Amino acid sequence: MALLVDKLRPRSLDALSYHPELSARLKSLAQSGDFPHLLMYGPSGAGKKTRTIATLKELYGSGVEKIKIDARVFQTTSNRKLEFNIVSSVYHLEITPSDVGNYDRVVVQELLKEIAQTQQVDLTAKQRFKVVVINEADHLTRDAQAALRRTMEKYSPNLRLILLANSTSNIIAPIRSRTLLVRVAAPSEEDICSVLKSAGKKEGWPEASGLNQRIAKESGRNLRRALLMFEAIYAQNEKVTDNTPIPPPDWEALIALTAEEILAERSPARLLQVRARLYDLLTHCIPPTTILKTLTFKLIAKVDDALKPDVIRWSAFYEHRITQGSKVIFHLEAFVAKFMRIYESYLMGMEF
Amino acid sequence: MPADIRSFFGGKSSQGSNASPAKPAAKKEEPSTRKKRTRKVVDDSDDEEVVATKTASPRVKAPSKPKPEVSKGEPTSTSDYFASSKKRGRPPKESKPQPAAADDLEPKPSPKPKKPTVTEQPVKRPQRGSTKKATAILDDEELGDDDIFATEYKKPGKGDDDYVEEEDKDGDSDFEELAVKPASAAPGRQGRRKQAPVSDSDEDVVMEDLPKRPSRATKSATSQPARKRKSEVLDKDEDHESKSSPKKGAQAKAAPRTPKKPRASAKVDRPESKEIQDIFDSIPTVRPPSPPPDTGEKKKFNFAAQAQRSTGPAAGSAELPVGAENCLAGLSFVFTGVLDTLGRDEGQVLVKKYGGKVTGAPSSKTSYVVLGADAGPKKLATIKQHNLKTINEEGLFELIRRLPANGGDGKAAEQHEAKKKAEEEKIRAMAAEIDREEKRKAAAAAAKRNDTPSGPQPPSSSQPPSSQSAKIDDRLWTTKYAPTSLNMICGNKGVVEKLQNWLRDWHKNAKAGFNKPGKEGSGLYRSVMIHGPPGIGKTTAAHLVAKLEGYDVVETNASDTRSKKLVENGLLGVLDTTSLQGYFSGVGKKVESEKKNLVLIMDEVDGMSAGDRGGVGALAAIAKKTHIPLILICNERRLPKMKPFDHVSFELPFRRPTAEQIRARLSTICFREGLKIPPQVLDSLIEGTNADIRQVINMLSTVKLDQTNLNYEKGREMSKAWEKHIVLKPWDIVGKILSAQMFSPSSKTTLNEKIELYFNDHEFSPLMLQENYLKTKPVLAGGYQGREQKLKQLELADNAASSISDGDLVDRMIHGSQQQWSLMPTHAVFSFVRPASFAYGNMMERPGFTSWLGQNSKQGKLWRYTKEIQGHMRLRASGDRDEIRQQYMPLLWDRLVRRLMVEGKDSVDDVIDFMDSYFLTREDWDALVELGLGPMDESNVKLQTQTKAAFTRIYNQRSHPLPFIKASSVAVPKKMPKEKPDLEDAIEESDEEEVLEDDSKNNDESEEELDLKKDKYVRVPKKAAASKGGASKGRKTKKAAANDDFIDDEEEKPKKSRARKPKAK
Repeated sequence: MALLVDKLRPRSLDALSYHPELSARLKSLAQSGDFPHLLMYGPSGAGKKTRTIATLKELYGSGVEKIKIDARVFQTTSNRKLEFNIVSSVYHLEITPSDVGNYDRVVVQELLKEIAQTQQVDLTAKQRFKVVVINEADHLTRDAQAALRRTMEKYSPNLRLILLANSTSNIIAPIRSRTLLVRVAAPSEEDICSVLKSAGKKEGWPEASGLNQRIAKESGRNLRRALLMFEAIYAQNEKVTDNTPIPPPDWEALIALTAEEILAERSPARLLQVRARLYDLLTHCIPPTTILKTLTFKLIAKVDDALKPDVIRWSAFYEHRITQGSKVIFHLEAFVAKFMRIYESYLMGMEF
Repeated sequence: MPADIRSFFGGKSSQGSNASPAKPAAKKEEPSTRKKRTRKVVDDSDDEEVVATKTASPRVKAPSKPKPEVSKGEPTSTSDYFASSKKRGRPPKESKPQPAAADDLEPKPSPKPKKPTVTEQPVKRPQRGSTKKATAILDDEELGDDDIFATEYKKPGKGDDDYVEEEDKDGDSDFEELAVKPASAAPGRQGRRKQAPVSDSDEDVVMEDLPKRPSRATKSATSQPARKRKSEVLDKDEDHESKSSPKKGAQAKAAPRTPKKPRASAKVDRPESKEIQDIFDSIPTVRPPSPPPDTGEKKKFNFAAQAQRSTGPAAGSAELPVGAENCLAGLSFVFTGVLDTLGRDEGQVLVKKYGGKVTGAPSSKTSYVVLGADAGPKKLATIKQHNLKTINEEGLFELIRRLPANGGDGKAAEQHEAKKKAEEEKIRAMAAEIDREEKRKAAAAAAKRNDTPSGPQPPSSSQPPSSQSAKIDDRLWTTKYAPTSLNMICGNKGVVEKLQNWLRDWHKNAKAGFNKPGKEGSGLYRSVMIHGPPGIGKTTAAHLVAKLEGYDVVETNASDTRSKKLVENGLLGVLDTTSLQGYFSGVGKKVESEKKNLVLIMDEVDGMSAGDRGGVGALAAIAKKTHIPLILICNERRLPKMKPFDHVSFELPFRRPTAEQIRARLSTICFREGLKIPPQVLDSLIEGTNADIRQVINMLSTVKLDQTNLNYEKGREMSKAWEKHIVLKPWDIVGKILSAQMFSPSSKTTLNEKIELYFNDHEFSPLMLQENYLKTKPVLAGGYQGREQKLKQLELADNAASSISDGDLVDRMIHGSQQQWSLMPTHAVFSFVRPASFAYGNMMERPGFTSWLGQNSKQGKLWRYTKEIQGHMRLRASGDRDEIRQQYMPLLWDRLVRRLMVEGKDSVDDVIDFMDSYFLTREDWDALVELGLGPMDESNVKLQTQTKAAFTRIYNQRSHPLPFIKASSVAVPKKMPKEKPDLEDAIEESDEEEVLEDDSKNNDESEEELDLKKDKYVRVPKKAAASKGGASKGRKTKKAAANDDFIDDEEEKPKKSRARKPKAK
């Protein structure tokens, strides 16, 4: 009953369908007996997590697949109570410190120390150490990262870390130097097509190679997204051909609508309406950078070439501000205002 | 000379109806004014206000002289005259302008002297005759005047009786003249006419002003010189006329406006002074009424033009005129629109400084409307309706420069003077009364003193003065001048009377068991509650009334602890007792038996606070059953904590007294203390303190320390320094900063003051500004049209938005990890002042409350939902929350929500199976619906009730796999040893609660039941299931089995199902 993405997820390094050299390297690492700290990075949907799980299986055997979720309670120094979920098997733990926002340092300090200070009890285990997988490592605060670095050395007999991140830019140098960097590149479009094809075959769906290519392109080389789109199309259409439209996700449809509104009328009143739309997107948990990026590309598609560099420039400018500031709506609105202004003045310049 | 002058005038009047009427008008005016004065005071006031500005200068001369004349018996003659023919009255109006012109020329002086010599009536009649004779020389000028006059006065004529009269009177001569005039002085007139009709626009006015000014300057730079000249011969006048024909036109324009009422006209007539003319000149008149087609359009046109002009050029020239003291006395002004160089406040201050009155909305009594750009349409309508004189800034300045001190001898000024005198007399009387009072007291005191030592009174008489003068009065002024009788209380007379009646009848009512409401309904209450703002005499009134009614006072106030216990015990002794004073008294004094009555005054009841726990309740209870009268006093009646007093006590709200009510009393005090403070300064003090008598008295007492008089500026400075700071509400803040005046070139608001606005509420002001800055009609974009305007608006919006964006970065430095609070002013500028400097303008709608807070908390909520969903799906899906939201959600929605919508209840089982496979709960389903956007928006989800019911029912029937174990059943990290709460903990209740919660959590391990109840995944009877039973493989559900093929570990997952619970056990 599960979705294709999850149902067809490869479970071992051997089953991975692309980046064979990377798989081979991970395999040899796992078998070496001297498993280093890893920092796996790559874009979303490239298969970092899948590879990590497969590597763990290679390390410990199938025991790592027997996982459960624990909810732990931590107390901050200000007596605030934090509930924190840990996915764990007997051999490893998987945590997402960014769940607790600014308090991630507490979690990192307490939890990792606790784990690192206890030795592996299971004598039959293949390895003497436990592995802690840290999701969204690039969202760790500086404090948490700083707390991490000494732990990595001090408790290395009992503990190995696998950090998963979308990019290494937010990870402090001391950590980068203590880890083995593993880049998981996004699959090429051909890779995605072949995955989709095999998935379709397994499900017994009629194949439409043209559609697969369009999906691969549309997904931005994000395999997870491609598979979900693939399934969505087959779920919503009785008959699938190469030309079956790909339904955009809800938020993208809304952003496209907003972009059209902006292009249709440029005025303070319209800016107010756009503000309401932006609020809508933000409250529904669409990250501001995603909004800005998507909006920019929707706008760019419809403006004159001469304007594009300017639009991109301001988009980048305000994207930076989003990360610097605290109230993102201000920056999104400022971008829209800026766009309206340059677009309007450009139009006027043309006409007058 | 006088005779010549008269004839001269007469000639004028006859030729241009203006001239002839002028004298008659003058005569009439005098009589009429006198009549009015004698008959109705109200009339005078009206006249004054309306005409004052115009007539002001002339009056100075005329009124003084006329009055005597009146006394001579002219009044009767004038009345007769009026009765005989109203026409005459009309001409006067016309003549008014002329007289004004004459004033400029300085013929007036001559007429006046004449008048005194000859009785007015006779003079007038001859004049009329003479007017008809009209001199040819004057024609041009007069004609010009007439033209203007005619046009203008046609307008007014429609609306006002006065005008009609004028027309009638003039009609004979004027109309003819008018007809003739065009022919004779076509070029000049036309030009003037154009000006006159168009005169509304500033440009015209300015043009007029400019020529006039030079002429004036040459002839008479200031009004005073003009007056002197008046005394000079007619020749000059003639010259002036000829030279100053434009002036006349302007005057004429002004004149028609004034003429509305004959009286007014009369007043106007006298003002011979150039000042008036000047003033008229300077006035950009917007005359809607008489020329029907032209006027309306013109009006609008003018305003638009004005608006445009005002934005640009005038900004630089804000040199405040210096005028004679009190020169605007008796005039009332209304300000509307954005002035060129003056801020509105500034303008108002200016007018007040010179003794003028500023009102908020124009009415028939308004003398001048000072018009700026973007004037309010309502005000314009009123102006049109009442045919008010409108002037611009220049006009105002001109008025101030020209008008003589104390408004000259204008009628308004005169009346003002009269009033002032009356007031002064009153003050003297009051002061005398106080004197007497004091002497009496002193005498009494002396008597007492003497009683003990020697007894005889003789020394007392001699002593009191000496002692008084010798010993320094060390009482506060507020005590010294506390009212000693009811009529000395400022304002709230009715309320005080009510209080007195209540107290007087208290014992009667007590006997009746408080069943008879009495006249005012106060008979039902044992206690009264006096409430009102500070410093308006609540306590004083209570004490005074008690004293007058012969009660002995027991008072408690905020300096006494008044907890429940103390109130109950402490008052016990008071409530059932009587005063000793009713039985004993000092040596040699009579026992006053009435004095045994007690009244309890509980002052500052709202001051009962933290230390007085339960005090309010106890007091309210006592108020219900007290056996002596109880007077409660507080400032804020509406506070929630004052609720217990509802329906328990008789409410007596005290209001702030008006400035008039206070002024007399304050003047008395000043007089007695030898302080010379002009009334307008007192008014500004009163205004500055919000009519807080006590504070004003304290201020006066301070002034007395080092000076004996106080001028207007100092007074304002002082009241500003003593200003009670009022914290603005977010709406007011944003309304103020975005107002059109705030950033106009003429605004004198400094950057610091704008920043100060932000600090009224530094958390809300930036948010409120961000919410509302797009809702204005930016003034800066006002000068553009069409698309350019649109672009300008966008530019302003963009500038404002990017400034707000800058501000957010600063905010991050303040509230982020850096905590740089010293950047607050920077934040104020970036996030508040600067955006407003672009976007300011009239708000198109009422300022809205910031939506950021609501949206932010909604985001928090939905974010938690996402987190929960992701947590549940985690065993199956690898994505983080954003990926779940952006990539999984559309498909999940399709499978879970759309399917239910499309396929109805048949699909319920499938849907639930699917949810179970991802460990999603029913709550997650709801969250999923709420998280939808655009095409998946919540409002688009329409589920048949049947389907929904089936879904819920079946979901509840079935058992569902659980992906995780509650924290409570897992070893909890060792509880931190509970620290003893230090002070902070004790205060922060929330923290304490959390700690407690933690404790309970830990305890839960032992008391599972409690915990399970809270656990939404568990039903109470099945607690066994909650404890982790995941190990037993036998529990596998069919679903789990079905899933087995692709997930090995599912077996291991803790599953909880009702059916299995028994097994688990």
